[in-house]
Amino acid sequence: MMLRLLSAEFLKIRKKLLWLLVALGPVGVVGLQAVNFGLRYDYLTKQYARDLWGGLITNVSLLALPAMFIGLAIVASMSAGIEHQTNAWKMTLALPISKRQAFGAKFLLNVLLLFVSCTLLVPFTLALGWALGFAAPIPAGELLRAAYYPFLACMPFVALQSWLSVTFANQALPLTVGIIGMIAAMFGSRFPDWMPWKWPLLVNAWHEPLYSVGLGLLLGAAVFLIGMLEFARKDVK
Amino acid sequence: MLRMFRSEWLKIRRSVMWLLIAVSPLIALAFGLFGFKQEGSFPWIEALSLLSALHAMLFLPLLTGIYAALLCRYEHAGGGWKMMLALPVSRTQVYFVKFAVLMLLLAATQLLLLAALLAVGWANGISSPVPWRTIFASLGGGWIACLPLAALQLFASVAFQSFAAPLAVNVICTLPNMLVVNSARVGPYYPWAQPMLAMLPREDYGFGAFNLSLETLTIVVLGSFCVFFAAGWTYFAKRSV
Repeated sequence: MMLRLLSAEFLKIRKKLLWLLVALGPVGVVGLQAVNFGLRYDYLTKQYARDLWGGLITNVSLLALPAMFIGLAIVASMSAGIEHQTNAWKMTLALPISKRQAFGAKFLLNVLLLFVSCTLLVPFTLALGWALGFAAPIPAGELLRAAYYPFLACMPFVALQSWLSVTFANQALPLTVGIIGMIAAMFGSRFPDWMPWKWPLLVNAWHEPLYSVGLGLLLGAAVFLIGMLEFARKDVK
Repeated sequence: MLRMFRSEWLKIRRSVMWLLIAVSPLIALAFGLFGFKQEGSFPWIEALSLLSALHAMLFLPLLTGIYAALLCRYEHAGGGWKMMLALPVSRTQVYFVKFAVLMLLLAATQLLLLAALLAVGWANGISSPVPWRTIFASLGGGWIACLPLAALQLFASVAFQSFAAPLAVNVICTLPNMLVVNSARVGPYYPWAQPMLAMLPREDYGFGAFNLSLETLTIVVLGSFCVFFAAGWTYFAKRSV
């Protein structure tokens, strides 16, 4: 059932700008770092002389984090916008599916799109590293962690943005919340550990990134459930 | 013309717009109230730098996009463009009025930031006289530096029906700010970095009362403004609605 719902969702976003954005996010982040490393090659390679790959990955994730935060808000808004723009919520919900399933499918779609985006970060970063001529031992584990841990830790925000975007017909509100979230995430390291905006940075008192990931998944599930129940009770236009 | 302003006013009155205008100044206010420590000999300038850094680097450019998209929202929803252009108004008028309202909204944001700055100064009991000239150069300069962004965002908002698409354009251009503002070579030429560069008070160089040099102001800000505005205007004049 869920699979068929998802394929319907994918049909709705076929040949839409959404896909371009999903690809553009990682391309932009790595491209900017390419410019950064290109312009300041000597300075940066000296600074990271001991661990060139690590320096590159750190720099990429530094930009990838705000890009991911605002990107997930835009993706959620665009995928919900398909129904808002054509006033099609009634139509969608008139199908033989429950409202919970409709909400779940939207959420899952956003998660998958963000997953694609984060996955693309890996080959692009590798390509940049090779293009800069960094030597062989690629820290595969570190690279994969840098790509997927923040993705998992920001699940509360994917759930929140999906919920807000579906709830409000006026997308200005969810998008502003997204912008505020992005800026809060940029200052995440100054927050206490319990703040969700800090989790995607993977820094905590125990120096164990998996705690942040676990917290993110738990709160993400909670926000998703609350959103789903609220959406199921709400009347649609 | 005045009537068109009134019709725009009717559309944005009692909308979420007013909530959004307050967002950035309120966050700047919170930053100022909790983060500001009176140390140096120029407390007002320091407070201004603190408040305007975040506001100008990300909020101002991004909110420009949100305002522009909101201004076109009524027309995109439910065939409002057709309705509006069926009235005895020219497309040029419509476009100019939209742009003027957008700039007025940005001016309102800047004024609220001024209020936040004064509140921070008052709460911290800054005793030295308010350096109005510097403050107005910063706020006014930031406002003028938003001209090209506003022009491009209005273009994108008119072109895309979706609310998020123009914002995506905006974000793609604004995020590089985080790197660009640190670069002395690229910074002066990147339109999206100009609000930030214009708002941060600097003593050493600048043209007249502005924090930007004359070349940057004319070539980058006004030049890109003319290009973006002309592009959006001709697009709007020719497109079928």
